[in-house]
Amino acid sequence: MGNLENKNNEETLTIIENFIPKIKHCLHNTDYHEREDLEQEIKLKIIEKLATVKFQDAPSFWDFFL
Amino acid sequence: MKNDKQKIEEFFYRNNEQVNNPIVKSFLSDPQNLYLVQKAILYPTDLNKKLVDESFQSHYINVRKIKYVSNLIYFFSLDFDKKRRRLQKRSLLILDKGLSEEGETTLKELIEDTRNENGLDHLIGGGLLDNIEDVQLLKSLQKLTVKQLQILEMIYVKELTIKEIAQILKTTPQNISNHHRKALNKLNHSLRKKEE
Repeated sequence: MGNLENKNNEETLTIIENFIPKIKHCLHNTDYHEREDLEQEIKLKIIEKLATVKFQDAPSFWDFFL
Repeated sequence: MKNDKQKIEEFFYRNNEQVNNPIVKSFLSDPQNLYLVQKAILYPTDLNKKLVDESFQSHYINVRKIKYVSNLIYFFSLDFDKKRRRLQKRSLLILDKGLSEEGETTLKELIEDTRNENGLDHLIGGGLLDNIEDVQLLKSLQKLTVKQLQILEMIYVKELTIKEIAQILKTTPQNISNHHRKALNKLNHSLRKKEE
């Protein structure tokens, strides 16, 4: 269980790291006073959502070819 | 071997449309996945198909996650700003907001100063002299001009700023400062004289 958690954490971290340019870009949607806050909030939200949202029911690969 | 190659090519040719589906295409662009698929085409056992499926599903979920996060970031930043604006609009203390995009004027500059003439009478009546207990100081203060007293009262009793006083008396802040300084000098002089 601990191992799985660790793996998920690492995955979340990679996703956030890969998305940093996008996050920085979206910071321009708000006032410059608020940007630091927003950045933190976004990261928090990503962690929260990746932990709770279930990404399921992927179709089978062979469904595409029948 | 040639037969194998033909078989694979035929399969992809037959399913050209599906292969060009973005998710399938990105899946096949990984050589590891392509190898699994080729193996499953040549030897369509349950195990080989299952391996492809597992790999494909993890790829699919990953893509969904990335798409989800990408949307999340974008819409969250919009919502965050909306929320901030709403709060800012609601709380009257924040007056620094610009009225137009490029204009320098802010909301606070448009607020009317309600302490106008009728507030002035109220300021002059009593206040400073009523609060003095020291007899000598009281006498010195009484020697000052009405205007000087008025300014001292506004500065020390009403705790107004020099700028506000200038607005009330319809003069410049520099003028108020001058009056203020002169009044203090005068007080200083008369008090020292009495001490001697």
